[in-house]
Amino acid sequence: MKRIHYIFIALGLILLSGNVRGQDLDALLNAETKPTVDFASATFKSTRIINGHSIEQMKNKQLEFRISHRFGTLNNGAYGLWGLDQSVIHFSLEYGLKDWLMLGAGRGSLNKTYDSFAKFRLLRQSSGANWMPVSLSYFTSVELISLKFPERPAGTSNYFSSRLAYVNQLLIARKFNENLSVQITPTYIHRNLVKTELDQNDIFALGGGARYKLSKRLSVNAEYYYTYNPNSKFLEPRTYNALSVGVDIETGGHVFQIMLTNSQGMREGSFIPQTTGNWLDGDIHLGFNISRVFAFNK
Amino acid sequence: MLKKLFILILLASTVGAFGQGKFISKNAFISFYSSTPMEDILGECNEAVTILDSENGEIVFQGIMTTFHFKRALMEEHFNENYMESSKFPKTKFKGKIEGFKKEMLTSPVANIKITGVLNVHGVDKTITVPGTLGLQDGKLVGTSKFKVAPEDFGIVIPSLVRDKIGKEMEITVKATYLPYGQ
Repeated sequence: MKRIHYIFIALGLILLSGNVRGQDLDALLNAETKPTVDFASATFKSTRIINGHSIEQMKNKQLEFRISHRFGTLNNGAYGLWGLDQSVIHFSLEYGLKDWLMLGAGRGSLNKTYDSFAKFRLLRQSSGANWMPVSLSYFTSVELISLKFPERPAGTSNYFSSRLAYVNQLLIARKFNENLSVQITPTYIHRNLVKTELDQNDIFALGGGARYKLSKRLSVNAEYYYTYNPNSKFLEPRTYNALSVGVDIETGGHVFQIMLTNSQGMREGSFIPQTTGNWLDGDIHLGFNISRVFAFNK
Repeated sequence: MLKKLFILILLASTVGAFGQGKFISKNAFISFYSSTPMEDILGECNEAVTILDSENGEIVFQGIMTTFHFKRALMEEHFNENYMESSKFPKTKFKGKIEGFKKEMLTSPVANIKITGVLNVHGVDKTITVPGTLGLQDGKLVGTSKFKVAPEDFGIVIPSLVRDKIGKEMEITVKATYLPYGQ
């Protein structure tokens, strides 16, 4: 009886081993394929949501040349061709020194401003072998207003440091699915010199932005910066929170961003504390950003 | 007596379970290349996994889309986001058989072979027959293949705007150095 037991077990094992040997190559293949960490890629199409920075940055040894325009306000009417007669320009070169570090420098015609910035990637949203719900970056920049100093009363002097403003932002973004990405952007700006005693040197703001993809190459974007301590309402011109809506159109190596916004400034130091347009009054600027990326690796 | 036989069979079966007669490479190379007057596109993966069954000449390949790398970061992004839709179809896979397979092919110098099987890219299966080579090279079992596929065959849509920049056909190059499975 015991022998029969053994024979049954042995037979069973032979059958089983046959199964394992003839095991689907697929199963073996899957077992041997390393689990990967799936990083969320292309949370936004561009390094800007509209005016403000997005979580995206240039990868290692990729150089981006950007040109942006903001025209006058739509309420200029037909005489001013709805703002197209005037425009301010900003251009910049932005480079990925490492995958996690991007540096850039630019010049804007509004207040003849020079700027330089660094963006550090701290966390990347991922799934798979490593789970991380959000991406996190730190952005910092220095802006220099190079307008000629106004005449000063005798006995007082101007300082170079008066030209400078500093921006610090945390970019916290999540790509919820293929189409929807959302970012919140706590911001602190320090301006060394402001126009009057009623203006704020230190500005605290919270930005929110999102994009929704309509197709693989087209998305709609919106961005809003809420300022906690805006300039006094009694100052002229009055300032407003910056609100922008736009579309991103991607064509190979280019991304075109076309937007409507109440700010004419294109740098954090100008559009966050100094947006003077009011959407309700029709102070809406048409604008666009164009970028071209060049690869310098290998 | 029966006990000994039992243990013997047990041993034999465990050896079998460890994939006897199979060869594997976990860092196989796959590239695809397209050349047009406008732009050259080259994506390379060095982390594909392939297994070759020496019993019947069956061969399988698997590559994770996000392990394909490009010189231009934007190309890599567009590859994953716009063309391969890597979050929906994370893997590419091939399963086929070496035509007229004989065991001696694995122990003789490199010779030409033909492989027929199903290539899955972008979630679409297509039966292909491709030329290749297989055999010993510097004492190691090496397999290679080079063939062309059309993105359209795999439901990959290329918009007219960039049609001039992306070749009608992609040249696929595969190279794997196999080791006996389990080593």
